[in-house]
Amino acid sequence: MLYDLIPHIINGLALGLLFALLALGFMLIIGVMEVINLAHGSLFALGAYVALAVMVPDGGLPYAFMEPYYALPDVPRYVIALIVGPLVVAVVGAGLELCLRRTYGQDPLYGLLLTFGAALVLEEGIREIWGSSEYYLPIPRGISGGFIAGDLIYSTYRIYAAIFAAAMIGLLWLFLNRTPYGAIIKAGAHDGEMVRALGHNLSRLRLFVFAFGAALAAIAGIIMAPIWGIRPVVGVDAVVPAFVVIVLGGVGSFWGAVSAGLLVGLVVGLTAAFATDWSLLSMYLLLLAVVTFRSRGLAGKASVLES
Amino acid sequence: MSMKAVNRRSFLKTSLLGGAAGGAALFGPWTHNRVYAAASDKPIRIGLTHDASGQFANSGQAEKRGSEMAVAEFNAKGGVLGRKIETVWMDTETNPQTGTRVAERMITRENVHFLAGAVQSGTANAISQVAQKYGCVYFNTNSSSPTESGANCHRVKFVWDGNGENFSKAAARNAINSFGNNWLLIYNDYVWGQNTNAATKKVATEYGATVMDEIAIPVGTRDWSSVLLKIQQMKPDVVAAAVGGDDFKVMRQQVHDMGLDRNPAWINNQQDWPDIFGLGADAAFGVFGTTWYHYLDLPGVPEFVKQYQEMYPTTRISVPGNVTYNGYVAMRELLRVVEEVGSTDNMKVIKALEGRVMTAKDRMQHFDAVIDANSHQVQQTIYLAEGNAKPRDDTDYFNILSWSDPEAIRSSAGDECKLESYADTPSYDQG
Repeated sequence: MLYDLIPHIINGLALGLLFALLALGFMLIIGVMEVINLAHGSLFALGAYVALAVMVPDGGLPYAFMEPYYALPDVPRYVIALIVGPLVVAVVGAGLELCLRRTYGQDPLYGLLLTFGAALVLEEGIREIWGSSEYYLPIPRGISGGFIAGDLIYSTYRIYAAIFAAAMIGLLWLFLNRTPYGAIIKAGAHDGEMVRALGHNLSRLRLFVFAFGAALAAIAGIIMAPIWGIRPVVGVDAVVPAFVVIVLGGVGSFWGAVSAGLLVGLVVGLTAAFATDWSLLSMYLLLLAVVTFRSRGLAGKASVLES
Repeated sequence: MSMKAVNRRSFLKTSLLGGAAGGAALFGPWTHNRVYAAASDKPIRIGLTHDASGQFANSGQAEKRGSEMAVAEFNAKGGVLGRKIETVWMDTETNPQTGTRVAERMITRENVHFLAGAVQSGTANAISQVAQKYGCVYFNTNSSSPTESGANCHRVKFVWDGNGENFSKAAARNAINSFGNNWLLIYNDYVWGQNTNAATKKVATEYGATVMDEIAIPVGTRDWSSVLLKIQQMKPDVVAAAVGGDDFKVMRQQVHDMGLDRNPAWINNQQDWPDIFGLGADAAFGVFGTTWYHYLDLPGVPEFVKQYQEMYPTTRISVPGNVTYNGYVAMRELLRVVEEVGSTDNMKVIKALEGRVMTAKDRMQHFDAVIDANSHQVQQTIYLAEGNAKPRDDTDYFNILSWSDPEAIRSSAGDECKLESYADTPSYDQG
């Protein structure tokens, strides 16, 4: 029994790291700017689509003009996609932040409505450019296919994606805690007026944070695309678990989000293995159970802003 | 101006009569009759209930293209009964509640003569309940739960796709002989998946398979890794999957990614063309069923493909597949029947459709098809296919393995169908 359980635990942890990756950008924006960015899923989808355009000839870019580029091997194109995708989405995110400015200091509902509207606009924009068909984001041969572990075959790409997610989590933590920019971001969230009084441009800071959060959403989109596929509504698949992870972990808490991601991954993974029809529901039952006893989530008190 | 005196007795009498008439209008009769002044040269309006969002958005738009092709074909010939054909389309969002709302609106506000379109069985069932309430003839073009022509059949509903049992019958015996008799069944946990799975189980056990387990997959599942690990641990010979729409796309991707697409053997009930187009032959894994393929070596097929490409030169799905085909042949048959009976009256149309034989040549299939008079399902040729290892071009994903005579794979779901009587079906004609 235990022997049968081990692959599912490992799989659940790998899945958990991906859930945490999904939630990083969402966490940053909600934690620092107190805006629930419902466009997170659409930015996630846009990142995947831009990566698609960079990776394949019929992915949205003019082929004739780009022909020499598409002759490049898949590894450099994939690396370029991982850079260009987040940059493009960061610009879109910055634009969205400019639209959001009029809602600062107002009822939070305005921000919520604006980002919801932006999500719809982005999704329709994607449909307009790429259509509603399914796409598949190719990945370099070295990280595709399965590998044999004992009696089982497991996806090489999932291992790569989990390691990538862990690395992103580590890098983001280092950025927030070991760089002066990170310190300003945290301080800006804690006391914006003080940051302004110290001579920092608060507007620029917010612009940067939102663009950075959007770029993180795009990175998650590119990493998840080979697993989930690419279609205009794929953002909905992302925003719901991201929201669950954030609330479960404690709004604004970095390690809360990471540990909640891992917990959700484990619970969903194990439930899918042994009671599959409960797998989707298990995530919400977990949220319900935690929020019932800890209304601020697992680490609601120790947010990155307060540390 | 004369004034008539109203005494107490006449007032009471008038009130009682008025009340009785009002009550009758409110409480009965239950049968709705929407019959408008007879024919005119006004256009024949057809309500298209094709999805544009949700799980089957892509397939919904594919069948819409098929319906529109048939309408354009008739309009180019001057319409039907000398009247132009108009379509009214509303997105049913792959959602039964929306389906109900759209059908209600199409009939009561848009005054459509007929309804056509559906991919998801839950939505098709919802639309057909409204259609039956009013008596409006409804064509379920692409949803293939056995219940659509079984327990949920209706006098006004005609089901144009092969159903899960047709596909299972076509595949089961071959799969047991070729791959083994230990079967694992996985299915989407909603009406189509549940009923298709039940049909597969019935057929597989009849042919001697042992069902190891049945796994219900919630609709909207995006991570299949745990299920795929479980499948590996159980070591079945065959996995029979009744998974559709976006869930199927995600499953296929993850099966392929884990390298499980060859072992165990996969039987995927039906592979809809919009779910696979653009992904290459590798994505067509396992053995699966379809009702039509654009490289069938049959008269009329190249012409139909050409007609599609001329009408939709920029559509990403550059060749029609089974979903568009079903949309097309269904609409074409509806318009032919209206022409033949010389009316849009629902009873005349229903009676002309029941038991109607359509030749193989006309339908671009290998065998004649017939609309079963007792279940209203089109009994037609089912093709078994696999991914094409030697494609002739970048649209040639399927290798057709065999085709089955409709009689050999006839679904028993119709045994559960109890069609409403003609008398219990409201008369309906929008004139």
